[in-house]
Amino acid sequence: MQLYPLYPLYSLCSPCARWLVAALGAALLLSGCGQEGKSGQEGESVTFARQDAFPSTYSVTQSRPVLIRGATLLTGTDKKLDDADLLLSGGKIARIGPDLKAPEDVLEIDGSGKWVTPGIIDVHSHLGDYPAPAIESSQDGNEMTSPNTAEVWAEHSVWTQDPQFPLALAGGVTTLQILPGSANLFGGRSVTLKNVPARRVQDMKFPGAPYGLKMACGENPKRVYGGKGVAPSTRMGNVAGYREAWIAASNYREKWRDYKKNGGDRPERDLQLETLTGVLDGEILVHNHCYRGEEMAVMMDIAGEFGFRVSTFHHAVEAYKVADLLAKNNVCAAVWADWWGFKHEAFDMTQANLAILDRAGACAMIHSDSAVGIQHLNQETAKAMAAGRRAGFDIQPQHAVAWMTLNPARALGIADQTGSLEAGKMADVVVWSGNPFSVYTRAEKVFIDGELMYDRDDPDRQPRTDFELGILDAEGERL
Amino acid sequence: MKNSIVNIALACAMALGAAAPQLQAETLMIKGGRVHTLGEAGSLESADILLRDGRVVAVAPALDAAADRTIDAAGKVVTPGVIAPVSELGLTEIGAASATNDYAVTGESIGSAFDPVPAYNPKSTLIPFNRAGGVTRALVFPGISLWGDSVGDPQRVFAGRSFAIELNGDFDSVVATDLAQKAYLGEPGGKLAGGSRASAFAKVKSALREAAEYRDHREAIRRGDWRQLNHSLADLEALQPVVAGRQPLMVTANRASDILAAIDLAGEFNLRLIVQGAAEGWMVADQLAAAAVPVVIDAIDNLPISFSSLGARFDNAALLHRAGVKVAISGPGYAGTHNVYLSRQSAGNAVAYGLPYEAGLRAISANVADIFGIEGGVIEPGAVADIAIWSGDPLEVTSYPEQLLIGGEPQSLVNRSTRLRDRYLKPEQGHGNWYRF
Repeated sequence: MQLYPLYPLYSLCSPCARWLVAALGAALLLSGCGQEGKSGQEGESVTFARQDAFPSTYSVTQSRPVLIRGATLLTGTDKKLDDADLLLSGGKIARIGPDLKAPEDVLEIDGSGKWVTPGIIDVHSHLGDYPAPAIESSQDGNEMTSPNTAEVWAEHSVWTQDPQFPLALAGGVTTLQILPGSANLFGGRSVTLKNVPARRVQDMKFPGAPYGLKMACGENPKRVYGGKGVAPSTRMGNVAGYREAWIAASNYREKWRDYKKNGGDRPERDLQLETLTGVLDGEILVHNHCYRGEEMAVMMDIAGEFGFRVSTFHHAVEAYKVADLLAKNNVCAAVWADWWGFKHEAFDMTQANLAILDRAGACAMIHSDSAVGIQHLNQETAKAMAAGRRAGFDIQPQHAVAWMTLNPARALGIADQTGSLEAGKMADVVVWSGNPFSVYTRAEKVFIDGELMYDRDDPDRQPRTDFELGILDAEGERL
Repeated sequence: MKNSIVNIALACAMALGAAAPQLQAETLMIKGGRVHTLGEAGSLESADILLRDGRVVAVAPALDAAADRTIDAAGKVVTPGVIAPVSELGLTEIGAASATNDYAVTGESIGSAFDPVPAYNPKSTLIPFNRAGGVTRALVFPGISLWGDSVGDPQRVFAGRSFAIELNGDFDSVVATDLAQKAYLGEPGGKLAGGSRASAFAKVKSALREAAEYRDHREAIRRGDWRQLNHSLADLEALQPVVAGRQPLMVTANRASDILAAIDLAGEFNLRLIVQGAAEGWMVADQLAAAAVPVVIDAIDNLPISFSSLGARFDNAALLHRAGVKVAISGPGYAGTHNVYLSRQSAGNAVAYGLPYEAGLRAISANVADIFGIEGGVIEPGAVADIAIWSGDPLEVTSYPEQLLIGGEPQSLVNRSTRLRDRYLKPEQGHGNWYRF
């Protein structure tokens, strides 16, 4: 049951981090990651991103090849293939085509009548950080103690036994970014996870995915801190806060550069500045909760002033007002299909937002920020597609599917590894009961790195978290 | 675009309607649509609907009657308009802007007497937006803030009185009042009542007992010749139709045990009970059915989001329906009152998880009208002509109403969302920044 007066709190605690990652931007940032080693001179072999402080121990291996026969494939690359076969092998998409030969020991799936898409990627989630049940002691998603908490990492709050993870899996979600909340100008680091059962968050960490930095524009930071009588209390206060922090990060970066070049006293490590400097170095992607068009334009100028790129604006309700600017700056926008009105900055909603962005050439995507919505991102995408058609754009399923797959992969800097059905990519695949843009269609089988992680027809292939055991019925299942 | 002619005709009709009262007497035929009457006529593959004076005159596969105007509905789906079973429509504009919110009172001891009708604003932007989503009528309920001064106020497990609106945006669009009283039981009730959900039950019972006492000794009490009562006379007056069994009491309850306790409470006081929430309703579906207690559920919320809803699941609606419980589906809580029309999506998901299709349609229209005793929700002779003509299956997320009638009057489907869209897609005087794709 919803209690509407929760809105103000909800909109704040809720995960409103938006990250803008332009397609090209992501590629550039990734290429930056590839150069990590060069800062290793002077014995400093790690970068400010500290990519391996809590290294990924993700280790799903595909137990047997999978051949999906005769399905309708939406590849994520603007192609719809009818009556096609898809072979998953060694954790990768091996082959796509008609009449593929079955390898030995293959798990063959009759795809007739089924549709197949890349695994859904949610660029904006708080699963594990705001788990269910939502009791006071587990509200770990928002370090609301200072407007700049760039030093916190969302992964350190993730409760892997959150029963919302398997619910999202049943909705076809294979990869998701967990963001800190939006109370702060700098909320902290995000983490990109694969949606697999795990004891440790490290077991879920997407291998090699760049970190993100959650930033927030607008009402939330100024309300939280202005309400406490400290800065910021206005939008201009927000901007001053961002710029002061980037100046500090620039100085920190200089200090380390100087030390590496000239020696002398080794600078002190600073967790907060390491994250910001990781952004300046192009290793950490900015995911920016930002509703208003004006604020997005200002944030892009700040990025220009300090030499970084915003990956993605999240909750970008007014992105359609600056669609051309976003396209020009290679900044992505992550949006809802139709949420609006819970705050003033969410008042100017149009259901055609995503379609207008797409048509303007911006990297646009659907996102959830909701443990309910994350289970239906295919339906949310369908609504955005339908609104685009009503606006007069010819948008086909093979195009719209990228809004929930390849485009969020671009935003997260992992598009070279997942997000589309292309040979060599991770075998993150959903088999749907029909057209995924129908309300009646359900994800039937979900593969992650080629392994069948969820099967609607097989209760033994439906992960249940520790929390769910004996919780409703000592001897039975929760569902 | 064969619809364009019809649209132009409708637009003209609307323009005329403003100045021509005789429009009420004209007849309108909706021809050849796939009609889900949700009445005794059932679903008709291709049928005509004749309307006059804002009412349905006839519905049948082929009507041999002339009409002043005709809407060609061939290839379209025709249903009664959607009815929202719970909303704050007209009582809120922006969630986080307190000055625009009138659905809850804090820091004051008005309980069951709280009447939100004077605050109702038919010009709210939420109304044309949800109308464009196919909503023709809605129940409007007050709420209680769980945050702030009113928490723990002993009077405040009752949220207050309710009313129903038609979504034409007219100043006289409140169509019925005092349809149900709302109270909080379960987890929020416990919070409001001082820490235990048992206290919420005790407070409701205490109020109902005093309401009965007031009923039986009204004169003495009003004279002051009676013991001191714990509730205001206004609150006790507001509960009179509830204790008389004329007006339902809608209570929030999600946990199965809370639902059973509510059923017991209703039995003790001979109440007409409605359970809102009922996340674990499927666990006590037989008891709900036996007590003839209808439910208002958020069918798309399957999260074990509290220890009171650990049993939440997508097939709750299907299981309740199968057991014989009358189910109404609300807009998804996570999308708020701004998007109550998304009850269609919730119902579609309920159908995907086993609810029969027509039961899904009924859950967002006919059942709501039945539960709260208002008009609408059915296309049959004599019924109010609240009718939606859809581009396709109304439970599909890609469908939308192409035309909408409320009381037989064609409605505009323009709203701020479409205005903002069009401003950025088409040249408009004074706004030179449209896109040229």
